Parts: sequence; structure tokens; C-alpha cells
Amino acid sequence: MISDKAKEQIDAWIKKYPEGRQSSAVMEALKIVQAENANSLSAEAIQAVADYLDMPRIAVQEVATFYENYNHKPAGKHTIRICHNISCMLNGADNLIDYLEQKLGIRTGEVTKDGLINVKKVECLGACVGAPMFQIGDKYYENLTEKKIDEILATLK
Amino acid sequence: MADIEIEIDGNVVTAQAGEMLISVTDREGISVPRFCYHKKLSVAASCRMCLVDVEGAPKPQTACSTPVNEGMKVHTQNAKVKASQKAVMEFLLVNHPLDCPICDQGGECELQDVAMTYGSDMSYFSEGKRVVVDNDIGPLIHTDMTRCIHCTRCVRFGNEIGGIAEMGGTGRGEDLKIEPFLQEGITSELSGNMIDVCPVGALTSKPFRYALRTWQMNATPSIARHDLVGSNVFAQTYKGKVRRVVAKDNDNVNETWISDRDRFSYEGLSHENRLLKPQIKLNGKWKEVQWNEALEFTVRGLANQVSDNQANEIGALASNTATLEEFYLLQKILREMGSENIDHRLDIKDLENSITLDSNIKLTELESIDYGLIIGSNPRLEQPMINHRLRKAVLAGADIDVVNVMPFDFNYRINSENIISPYQTATILAEISKSVLKSVHAKNYLSNVSARDSAQSIANRLLTADNSVIILGEHIINNPQAISIAKLISEIAQQTNSATLNISATSNSIAAEMANFVPGQGGLDANAMLAAKLKAYILLDIYPEYDFHNSVKALEAFGNNTFVVSMNSFKDKVISQCSDVMLPIASFYETSGSHVNIDGKVQSFAAAVSAPSESKPAWKVLKVLADLLKLQGFHYEDSTQITSEAVNQNRQKATDERPVSVIAEAKRGIDVIYQKSPYATDVLLRHASALHATKIGQVHLASMNKSTAEKLQVERGKKYLGVPVMVTESVANDCVFINARHPIGGKS
Ligand code: SF4
Ligand code: FES
Ligand code: FES
Repeated sequence: MISDKAKEQIDAWIKKYPEGRQSSAVMEALKIVQAENANSLSAEAIQAVADYLDMPRIAVQEVATFYENYNHKPAGKHTIRICHNISCMLNGADNLIDYLEQKLGIRTGEVTKDGLINVKKVECLGACVGAPMFQIGDKYYENLTEKKIDEILATLK
Repeated sequence: MADIEIEIDGNVVTAQAGEMLISVTDREGISVPRFCYHKKLSVAASCRMCLVDVEGAPKPQTACSTPVNEGMKVHTQNAKVKASQKAVMEFLLVNHPLDCPICDQGGECELQDVAMTYGSDMSYFSEGKRVVVDNDIGPLIHTDMTRCIHCTRCVRFGNEIGGIAEMGGTGRGEDLKIEPFLQEGITSELSGNMIDVCPVGALTSKPFRYALRTWQMNATPSIARHDLVGSNVFAQTYKGKVRRVVAKDNDNVNETWISDRDRFSYEGLSHENRLLKPQIKLNGKWKEVQWNEALEFTVRGLANQVSDNQANEIGALASNTATLEEFYLLQKILREMGSENIDHRLDIKDLENSITLDSNIKLTELESIDYGLIIGSNPRLEQPMINHRLRKAVLAGADIDVVNVMPFDFNYRINSENIISPYQTATILAEISKSVLKSVHAKNYLSNVSARDSAQSIANRLLTADNSVIILGEHIINNPQAISIAKLISEIAQQTNSATLNISATSNSIAAEMANFVPGQGGLDANAMLAAKLKAYILLDIYPEYDFHNSVKALEAFGNNTFVVSMNSFKDKVISQCSDVMLPIASFYETSGSHVNIDGKVQSFAAAVSAPSESKPAWKVLKVLADLLKLQGFHYEDSTQITSEAVNQNRQKATDERPVSVIAEAKRGIDVIYQKSPYATDVLLRHASALHATKIGQVHLASMNKSTAEKLQVERGKKYLGVPVMVTESVANDCVFINARHPIGGKS
């Protein structure tokens, strides 16, 4: 379930914590394993992380379901994580979510037929200053408008 | 910690600096409502129900997480407190369904009680309520998670007491759910306690579901007799039947917890296999008769078989679940008749070589050991409450080393797990002994021993630890060197100032020893009695097919030409085959009596219900039998007189002269350690259906490594002694470890 390369990356994280505290690396480990498995975490993946870090499975499941960063259903190649918290909402996030849904022909939480994109509503990403905003991969896109969204979507391949 | 004074509602009370406010109010009998706080669990302070007003603090404080300090002034009843509590209560009820009429917790629900006292009679919340879909989490606990208030008591119970994190909170906010990982369900041997800690009707007893309201039942304090702890319980009864068993607090015995075995065994009481009427066998045919007829038949039968000067032709055997009083009366009857053939040790292959080892550490002291050595035991399944104390010790920093034939699933950290063939157990102990003694007057039998590293390090730990204990478990009982093992343990314990804990026999076996239910001068032990084919046997709640080490021998002995009196709580085919008279006796909770636990504590209990139909408490039957046999000294007014006579009788222990042998005899072939499922150790458990459906109850494996399998010419997919073979290299050489379940109810 976890490739050797991923193990190496996880081990690097484990090393940052005192001995016996390998469970501190759980969030990074989940992220690494998720990246390796079509951007989602299956039950087996969670089990594998739990076993690798010697943690109770339920404890890893708790982390994996608490944070929005983890997907539990197969995700698209790109995940648009659109903020719908207070600042973004006041600046029209809801309309943009509608627009995205229409444009892509999916509801939030779903994946486009070609498997390219999925949209996820998330809580505040700390970029209120540029609200409304979304995140794709590691990149933030701020002060969004419908036009801007069209341009961004066109770049996603 | 220093005593300080604080003021609560205008009254000055003393407290210890640093303790939480809620423990002070609890001690003083001041009521502070709470959901997440539980005296035996860590503080979560998540429900906010316990708000009180502390002078100087701008906002109300949670009593469960506010440490007290000198001069603190607290109000638990003022308007500010009342308003906060009401508000919190309203929040807690936002998502709680109004289904009390169909909720099993109704009447014993903390939420219901607190809502009545502190809540409002209306809610401002008109939005939709949250609904949670339930998964099946096993045969013992029913879930209605829509009712869960997220107090996390069950989660903390798993982490802190049960020792396996099973329940957890997944999702967040509105979507937070308390559940086990996926479909894995709950497997802990202590899982039933989650039902007790859950303050609402989210976790309820599955076998008790929709049966009764709590106020319809009587609760009788009682003692569970399935293990060496004798956990304190309440048997809750309705119309003469035990309908549920819950834990009763006793910090010296079981704290607030009980094992699932103790909680759910009562189900067996109403199994259809109960023996309900006295029966006698006439010309090979069973006939139901009145008690007096059955007893007269018994007395006549014994007299016919055994003439006056032949008393040694009669033997008595009892199962380990009998009460102290029953053991005492039955041995007294035999001894008055002139026979010393008395025994309760049925599952030991070689009684000449049986273990004698005293326990000299109390349950509460086990918590404060700093080093433990476990030999031949899987304490978690065998003695769950003793294991719980050991776990507490480990959490407090103790180290535990284990010498076993295969790795078991400990729910705490084990320092080193030494997997060693049974033929080497005595050897490794000799090595430990030698390392302990160093050059000091080493015994003869140690002269050729040289200690391996692991033995040396165990010896060092024993020598340096302040409070150490050596625990001898039940996997050793049939080790051909059992006696040497026990002797070595007591020697090592002496030299290292360690305590010993003998958990090699279970249930009420300590009471049997106390009542002197063992062969006396010239008497035969259980195996010898079977081999001798005596003329008459009196069997106390024995099931020959399951209880004996060698059931074939037992069946032969109870065959023709003997007169077998069986006193049983359950019937089965084999008993009716080999008995001449069957006397129905009371089971757990149906008789008064006493259990003696590992601390030597005699815990007496009253009957919670009367025995069903015509069955009677065995002590009463034995007393009448003694009278009919015209024996002297059986005039007891009630069972407590028997108890005190049993407790106070003089019992000298013969000094044990048996030699110690420490040589590893690799040639001796393959050792089989046959262990019954923890849910098949006595007849009541064998009839308790929900327990058998659990994962623990289902385990049915004969584990061995490849070389053993080859020697035995078995393989995966085959059976060994009727149990499916599992080949795994984790088992030591030349050893088969069998963990056998039992078909529920057995073949009747
Ligand atoms: S199930 Fe019961 S004990 Fe567990 S969190 Fe919910 S309310 Fe608390
Ligand atoms: S509310 Fe959207 S980034 Fe903060
Ligand atoms: S009992 Fe204090 S916050 Fe729950």
C-alpha cells in the first residue's frame, strides 16, 4: 500500500520528532500516501498508515476525517478547494460555487466525467484578504471572478 | 498534597490543593451536573455541563477541570450558574432525539435526569436534527448514535482502561460521529463497561434490548465467580429471573469495571438445557421423581454400593465454580463417611506434579509494581481484571517481561516477550535463579546451568526492582515440569524479594483449597479416582465431556457398575449416560455462598433469585443428604454458619518434598497447551449465547509452527484434536497452543 519512496518520505518526517513520537508524523504521512493513491485515502490506505506509524486505526481515521485536506472518495486530477467561510461568503463565494458547478457540470464533492477536476467546499484557508478564493494543489487563487475562473480552468489539463 | 480550605455555596470545606473542584463537590455531596467527567477517566471538559461560578473569574468555570486553590469561593447554585447550565443543556439537546419512550436508557439516563433538573421545558431550535446511521458493532453493544452527545467517555474508556482504542470521533463539527474503525466492531474483553459509562442511550446492552425498564427490576449485590477476582456486581432481577448484570463499585476488587464475561454470563441461566427436576435411573430408564425420593434413592444407592468399611470406594469431585460452602459441605460429608477421595482439580494431567504456589500480593498492590514477570499466561483473556491492574502499573512506568509459548495480544507495552518451548520453561527459570544467586550457595541442580542473556537481564530486573512480582499462569499446569517451575519461581521470588501471583487455576478454586477440597492422607486425587474405577462418585456440577483433562477416562470410570450421583445445574447427554441420579442445583445468582478471591478475601453473596423449577441450592441439598446419611455435625441454621466453619478450619500445608528438575528434555516430544475460550471455562458461560458470538468467543485455532506441524503430520486446513490448524512461526518449537471455542449449549 505504501511505496518504498513514500516510506522514505514518511521516515524523514518521523525523524523530526523525538523517538517514540512517530505518530506526530501522521498528517504528513496521510498526505504522502494520498498523493500516491489517486489523491484519495481508502480504508486500506488508512490502515497502512496506522500500521506503519504503530497507531490505532481509529486514531488515524479521526485525523483523516477531521481535516478537509484528505479525500475519502476518488478525487479528480485537480481538486479545487473553494472557501465558503465568512469573508469569502460575504464576497460572493456562494455565487462562484454555483458558477463552478454549472460550468463543470458537477456538484461539489463530485468529479468531472473525464476525471480531471473535483470541487470541494472548505473552511477558511487564511486568505481572507483576497476573498473570494480557492486553492488548487499548493496554489492559492484570490479575488476570484467568473472570468478569472474561466481562465484558470482553461489551464487545467 | 496540602489540605486547603475553600468555600462552596458559603460553606467552608477542606480540599487538597490541585484536585479538581468536581471531586470536592462530589465528596461533599454537592450536586454538580456532568456528562463527560467520569471519576476513573481522564478529564475532557468537553460537555460544559458542570459549569460553576468561581468568584473572580469573569465566566463560569467547568468544575471538572478547575483545580482548587486556597481561599477559592465557588457558587454552584446562583443565577449565573443556573442560566449557564440551562443554556448548555439546551445546546446538548439540539441534536438529541426526543425518543425517550422507546429508549432503553430511559429511567437510568443521565441526560434525562439532568435535563429534568437543569433544562428548560422548551427549545428554541426549530431546524432539522442530525441523524446518524448505525453500524453493527458486535453482539454485546447496541448503538443508537443519533442519541450520542459526544461526551467521549466511551472513547476515553477504550484508550485508557480497555487498552485498545476502538471508539473514536470521526468527522468534525456537525458531522462528528463516535464510531469504531469502519466495520471492525468492538472486540475488547471489557467492552460492556462502555454501556455503563455512556450517559445516554447511545450504547446499550444488546442482549437486554427492549426487555425492561430499570425501575421494574430489583438489584441484588452479588459476586461474579468466573475468575479469581470475584468482581462485585448487581444482579438485576425481574419476576424471579436475572435480567441484567451491571458493575458494582469496589475499589479493592474491580473498581468500577467488570469483564464482559461477568456481565453477560447470566444469559446462560435461562437456557433450555437447565436441569429442572430430580431424576433417577431405573433399569436404564430416567424417571422424574420428587426430591425426597431422589435423595432416598441416592442414599440407598450409596449404601448398596459401598458397605460400611469400604468408604474409600467412594469419591467426590467438584467443579471450580462451586461456592466455598458447597466445597466445604461436600468434603465434610466424604470425610465423615470415612473417605479422603476428594478433588476439584479436574483438568490437570499429572496431579503428582501439580503446582502449589501461594499468591502474596494484593490486587491493589499490583498497580504499584515496577517490574513483573509473567510465565505461561495470556492474562487479558484469562484474568481480565488482574490484567487491568497490570496495565495500570505499566502505564505508571512498570516493565513487564513475558515467558510464553507464543506471542499474545497484550494491551500494554511488554518489555520483552520470550517465546520458549514448554520443555525449556524450567530451564530458563533455572537460569534466572542461577543469575540471581550468582556464586552464593547455588543449589545442586543449578550446577550445570548457564544463563542466557535474556535470563540474566530478567534476573537483574528482579534484583533491582523495588516492587516486583512473578506471575504463574495456567499454561503451565500440564507442563511435565510444572512443580519444578513453581518451586523455582518461589525460590527466585524469595531471593529477589519479589511477590508471587498464582493464576494457574481460576474461578473459585481458592475457595476449594480453603475448604480443603483436596485429597487427604491416603485419599485419591481426581485422576487416581478415575483410574481406580471407584464404586460410587458424587459429582458437583461436573460435565465429564468438558471438565476433565481426559474425558475418555472419566467416561470409563463413570460407566457400568458404579453409582454416580450428579448434582448439576445443566443437563447434557453425557451426564444422563453416566449418572444414576441427577439432582438439579442452583446456578450463579440463584444461591447464597462465598467466593474467595486472589487476595484471600471471602466475599459472600445472597441469592438474587430462587433456583428455577425444582432445582435447589447445592449447599441445601448437601446438608439434607448429610442428614439422610446420618452423619454428625451438619446442623446449620443458615449458610453463614457453614461459611465461618469453612473459613476457620485448620488447614496445615504439608511441606513439599518433591524434587526440582531443570533439565530441558527436548526428546520429550510435543507439548499441547489446551486452553478453552474464556467464554467456555464453566457451564454457565458455555450457555451464554451473546458472548459466544463475539470475536473472542469465536477463536478456534490450534497454532503451531511448521516443524511441529510436520512432526504431527498436519497442515493448514486440517484439524488437530478437533481444532483447525494454524501454522505460524511465532509459536515456539514442539508446542501446540490450542484456543478452543465451545459450541453454544453443547451437544445435549
Ligand atoms: S456513545 Fe455515549 S459514551 Fe460514547 S461519546 Fe456518545 S454519549 Fe458519550
Ligand atoms: S473566509 Fe475564505 S479564506 Fe478566510
Ligand atoms: S463534566 Fe465538566 S465539561 Fe463535561
